[in-house]
Amino acid sequence: MIRIALTMLRTDRAKCTAMILAVTFSVFLMQNQCAILASLYRMMTAQIDDVTDAPLWVMEPDTRCFEQAKPVKDGTLERVRSRSGVAWAVPLLKIDTMARSDSGLLCTVTVMGVDEASMVGLPSRFRFGQPEAIRPAGTCAVDPGGYAQLFPGEPVHFPRRIRILDESLVLTGMTEASAPFTGFPILHCSRVTALRLNKAENRTATFIIGDFTPGANRAAVCESITAATGLAAMDRAGFGEMALRFYNSQGVPRLFWITIAIGLLTGTAITAQTFSMFVREHTTQLAVCRVIGVTKARIIAMVLCQGLFVLSIGCAFGTGLTAITTHAAASEPFLRGIVLPPQVAAGTCAALAAITITAVTIMARRVALMDPAIVFRS
Amino acid sequence: MNPPAVHCQQIHRHFGDGDTRVHVLRGIDFTAASGQITFLAGPSGCGKTTLISVIAGLLQPSSGAVSLFGRDLASMPPDDAVRLRRKDIGFVFQQYHLIPALSVAENVAVPLLAASMKRRDALEQASAILDKLGLGDRLHQPPARLSGGQQQRVALARALVHQPRLVICDEPTAALDHETGHRVMELLAASAVHPDRAVLVVSHDNRIFHFADAIAHMDDGIITHIDHPNSTAA
Ligand SMILES: Nc1ncnc2c1ncn2[C@@H]1O[C@H](COP(=O)(O)OP(=O)(O)OP(=O)(O)O)[C@@H](O)[C@H]1O
Ligand SMILES: [Mg+2]
Repeated sequence: MIRIALTMLRTDRAKCTAMILAVTFSVFLMQNQCAILASLYRMMTAQIDDVTDAPLWVMEPDTRCFEQAKPVKDGTLERVRSRSGVAWAVPLLKIDTMARSDSGLLCTVTVMGVDEASMVGLPSRFRFGQPEAIRPAGTCAVDPGGYAQLFPGEPVHFPRRIRILDESLVLTGMTEASAPFTGFPILHCSRVTALRLNKAENRTATFIIGDFTPGANRAAVCESITAATGLAAMDRAGFGEMALRFYNSQGVPRLFWITIAIGLLTGTAITAQTFSMFVREHTTQLAVCRVIGVTKARIIAMVLCQGLFVLSIGCAFGTGLTAITTHAAASEPFLRGIVLPPQVAAGTCAALAAITITAVTIMARRVALMDPAIVFRS
Repeated sequence: MNPPAVHCQQIHRHFGDGDTRVHVLRGIDFTAASGQITFLAGPSGCGKTTLISVIAGLLQPSSGAVSLFGRDLASMPPDDAVRLRRKDIGFVFQQYHLIPALSVAENVAVPLLAASMKRRDALEQASAILDKLGLGDRLHQPPARLSGGQQQRVALARALVHQPRLVICDEPTAALDHETGHRVMELLAASAVHPDRAVLVVSHDNRIFHFADAIAHMDDGIITHIDHPNSTAA
């Protein structure tokens, strides 16, 4: 009888297609928005997460996120290093400035000056070249999106030259730095090089990054750093959470959630409405089945299977569409942060399925409980 | 002696309440015997369809008792009533009520599939009976491709495929022209009548009354009299 139910559904091409399309586009819309949102969330903490070898972050107390950080006072490094529970600490200098490529293109860039002795603060992987290549003064590495912005359409080759202010810099490699929230190129260089570019500011470190001694109570160490320096200290996860809270409060994620909700509502509304029309048109046929001796439970199962058929095909198409578009977008250097996390794929389908199946169950119960004697009257 | 296929005792049925209350069945006593075609005849609105709905267990009588093959319907658990319909009753409707999405053979197989028979076996049996009713060459067509008479023959095949002990037909010829209706009735008489099977036909088409072994005439919710056309002719 289930097969009969599915044949009934497939034969009503127009409604079947309409419902599958509604589910497909609803799932696509939700997943697409969720994927962008998830990627944005990832970008909000990308430069924090990229520093995998330093779990301890110390910064000015009014810092809200990586992108809006004020440099710390000179001398802070020694005071952090001297706290008990701190295994080691190094400075990390972040500068936002303008770069000019050899073709004359102007571009805002984020320069990260890492401690030249330890190289802590560099992304752990390089796409071209190696960390050693940025040790000489006047050299730096660029991220993939940054290269595409500085040299649009040009093949990747090194070394290349750019100018920042009146300093000439040699690009010697490409990092695997995560896509930044700002979208600006990320240049990694030694702090010595970065200091030469630091014309606007005479402080020499934006963050102090380091590690806790093994077994130390992280919260207590952070508190003692704050007490001694007046600076904010936290572990990597804490800094990431703070950045997410800040960006959340800026309202952009809310817009995505609204679109996601619209996708969910229109998808379920169109599907439920069309399904209700479909069931109504097939009521007599289902009543004939009841008269012939099909049980109520079987009728409910038939209608539910029709609903599940539409849902599963629609979800599969929608997820496939999102996977294709995100995959295509992710191969663009600038959008490389975009992915479809499996939880998002499953979660959106589950949300749509929960509402649709509830509606379908109500309709299925209604047809199963109708008076089968209508077949004599129609 | 075997109990009669259908036995109704003082069936009353009303619809609605208060001002809108209609008393449709007003004390029906009725028996249909196996091996016979019994007609229920009467003017439109006299309660024929209501009565067969009660007999088929699709509608509860307001009072009175119905028993099928000696089993009282009212005392039967609902699941048993559904099983009895599935196993022992075949239905033919005025509007055929075939499922347009299914092929002719699949339509006929529905009662067997509802009884959880394997699809292959069900289709085989459906094809066999369609063959007998002269539709062996239409097995895989959708019902919409068939004429009204052919569709009613498919419906007849569906009513008989599971070899029910009672076949209930509500106005089986009303949607057909006289000649086609006659052909369908001939097939019904030839294939449905069986010593262990009762056939109940609701009709007010007196041109087919000669197919009846007994005609129960209904008017205004009661059975007024019963004719036995073939025995009087004899
Ligand atoms: N569910 C119902 N609710 C209210 N009234 C009903 C219901 N079912 C039938 N009736 C009424 O009962 C009366 C008898 O109906 P029924 O369909 O049994 O007549 P019938 O003899 O089959 O007529 P016809 O020859 O036109 O098919 C009609 O007046 C009808 O309006
Ligand atoms: Mg009627």
